[in-house]
Order: sequence, then structure tokens, then C-alpha cells
Amino acid sequence: MTSLVMARQMIKRFYSKYEAFVLPIIKFLIGLICLLIINGRLGYMSQLNSFVIVLMVALMCSFMPLNFTVFVAAVFVLGHMYKLSLECLLVVGALFMILFLLYFRFSPNDTIAVLLTPICFIMKIPYIMPIAAGLLGGPTSAVSVGCGVVVYYVLEALIGGAGSINSLADEEMTTRLKFVIDTVLSNKPMLAFVFAFGITILIVYGVRRLRVYYAWFIAIGVGVLADIVLLLIFDLIFDTHVSGGSMILGSFVAILVGIVLQFLFFHVDYERTEKLQFEDDEYYYYVKAIPKVTVSNTQKKVKKINSSRKKPAPRED
Amino acid sequence: MIDQDKIILMTRLASYEKNEGKKNEAIGRYFRSDYIGWQVLKSIVSGTICFLIVAAGYVVYDFENFMLDIYKIDLLEYAQSILKKYVIFVGIYAVITYIVFTFKYAGARKKLKTYAHNLNKLSREYNNVE
Repeated sequence: MTSLVMARQMIKRFYSKYEAFVLPIIKFLIGLICLLIINGRLGYMSQLNSFVIVLMVALMCSFMPLNFTVFVAAVFVLGHMYKLSLECLLVVGALFMILFLLYFRFSPNDTIAVLLTPICFIMKIPYIMPIAAGLLGGPTSAVSVGCGVVVYYVLEALIGGAGSINSLADEEMTTRLKFVIDTVLSNKPMLAFVFAFGITILIVYGVRRLRVYYAWFIAIGVGVLADIVLLLIFDLIFDTHVSGGSMILGSFVAILVGIVLQFLFFHVDYERTEKLQFEDDEYYYYVKAIPKVTVSNTQKKVKKINSSRKKPAPRED
Repeated sequence: MIDQDKIILMTRLASYEKNEGKKNEAIGRYFRSDYIGWQVLKSIVSGTICFLIVAAGYVVYDFENFMLDIYKIDLLEYAQSILKKYVIFVGIYAVITYIVFTFKYAGARKKLKTYAHNLNKLSREYNNVE
């Protein structure tokens, strides 16, 4: 455990020392992964699939706020949708507009959640999102994760229905638009995940803020259980056929990720809790102080063995 | 000689100013009612745009039936029912906005108060040195 704590401190020190370089690299990687996944899943517009363009845009993202990455990702998605059909562009554009208006009103700083939720779904580990967002974010993170879920399921539905949409090319525009809207709205798993994840985030956030020992661990456990129960309930209501195996495996990964996050962001030693009482002119203070777990760095001493040795005097022949 | 406490305090103040400070200062310039009222107004505009998008989508989705029924239906009653839905939607959205931004305002004021307290503390320390 000591070595883990030391490693964490080293990472923190490294980050604070090289923040000017590390942050752009992280943003670049997020942008690059996000755009590559979008091109990999959609990829209808050949111009956007060019790796040079993706690289250039990802480089731009590295020096801009994270909200810019969301904007660029939305533009890429809309570009691919335009190539698929004009109706898809209209529907996805309207959806993005609604999400933009709702999302940016409440949680403009949770951009990372909107980007990571679809990526986690693609990587088959969506269950980590409500736990991570509940532990690190606030109640409004439910909106951000909800937006991510909606974006993922709408795009997946349109990818699945792409063949049928193309086969309706000769039909009237209203018929095609109706088909696209039907495809999007008939997406029941989307509703199940939006509600289940939203409620789970609120539960995790509420429990981790409780003034009890091991609140973060309790929040992780309660959150995972609540997520499973809620998904099962919504599975019955919406008849979504959520895979039980992937749910349990995903929840297990969510617990592991939760523990890692707890270690990185809230690693405290409850056994050394101190209860203090003091007063000033206006108040009495009853303070409970829980120390963070830290390890003092081992001092490296370099012992110079030969430094004091005098050079032998040159021989005089 | 370097005063460690003063440097810690100054670093904390500078870090706050750089990150959250600007945003909280902007919020703190408003009176509570003005800030929350402005946010609710923005939400009403956003909610109206969202409602119009959804309504337009609904009309386009059911365009044929809509055009067939438009001459049969009581337009005044139809408009009333749409208006009722609009008021409910925007009303709920405005209430949520009111709650969220009330908490946000309270949080920002609290942090500004702590910031001002720390500034006073720093100022006192300077006075003590002089």
C-alpha cells in the first residue's frame, strides 16, 4: 500500500510540475480517441475519415477548452449524418440543439462526462459512468451522462437503420423523416439507461456526501446495487432485454474503477480521526478532522566515497 | 525572511482567483433575485426554443394527418392545448432552473466570503509586519 501511495504522490508531483504539457496531451488524446471512434462507427463522409484531418483537429482540441472537443465531435457526427441522409442530419441536429440548450444551462463543466459516456458504451463498460460521475461530479452530472446516453443510442439506432434509410431514397422527404424519427424514438434501452444512470448518480452523490465513515465505499456499493436494481426494473417496464452477464461484469469493473477513484481522490485514514473543540469570539467549533494518507519521501543520500581522497603527488624523478 | 504561512495563504488566494474566482466574482456582482431571475429568463428562452423544435418535429412527423385534420379541428381549442403543454414544460424547466441556480448562487457567495476573509487575514499579516 505504501508503494501505491508513493506512486500516487509521484504522479501528483509530476502532474503539477508539467501541467502545461500534460493537460494539452490529455486533451489531444481525448479528442483523437473520440474522433477516431466517431469515424470508426459512422464514417459515411470520406473527407472526415482522413487521419490527417483527425490529427489536425485533435491538435486544435489540445489547446482549447474541453467544450470545444464536444463541439468538434458534434460537427463530425453531423457531417457523417448529412452524408447518410438529410433527414438524419435534421433529426440529429435538432436533438443536439435540444441537448445543447438543456445541458449548457446546468452543467457546462461536465463536458468530459458527455464525451466519455458514449466511449464507455462502445467499450462495453457503461456501468462505470454513473459511479464515477456520482463520486467526482455533482447532481447535475446526471444531465451530462444522460446526454451522453442519448447521443450513443440515437447514433447506434441510425447506424442500425442506415440500410433501410438508404432504401427509402425514392420516397417523399416526410416519409423518410418519419422513418428516422420512428427509429430514434423506438429506442427503449435508451430511456432505461437514462433513468437508471440518472437516479444512480444522485444516489452515489448523496451517499458519498454523508457524514459517515467510509462514505465513498458505501456510495460505490450502494450505487452499483441501485444501478443493477434500477436497470432490472426499467428492463421490465420498457422490455429492453439488457444482458445480465454484461451488467454483472460491467458492475464489477465499476466497483474497481470506484475503488481506484477513491484511492486517487479521497484516500483518508479513518483510524486517526481527531475530534477537536475550540472557540472564537462568535462561535464554538466542533471539528472532526480525518487525515489524508500520505507517505513522506525517502531521503536519498549520496555518499561520496572518493571525494576527500587527495590526489597523489607527482613523483619527482 | 520568507513567511511560510503568508505564502501558503497567497498561493491559495491566487489559485482561487485563477480558477473559480472569476466565475464567482461575476455571480457575486448580482443581487440574488437579479441573478436567479436572469437565469430563469434564459431558461425560458431555451425552453421555448426546445419546445418549438419538438413541436416542429411532431408536425413534420405526422404531416399528412395534420394537413387532413387542420380543417376539421377546432383551432382555438388546439392552440389552447398546445399552450397548456408549453406552459407546463417551460414552468417545470423554470422551477428546476430556480432551484439549481439558487444553490449555485449560495455556493458562490460562500466562497467569495471565504476569499474576502482570507484577504483580510493577509492584510492583517502585512500590517503586523509593518
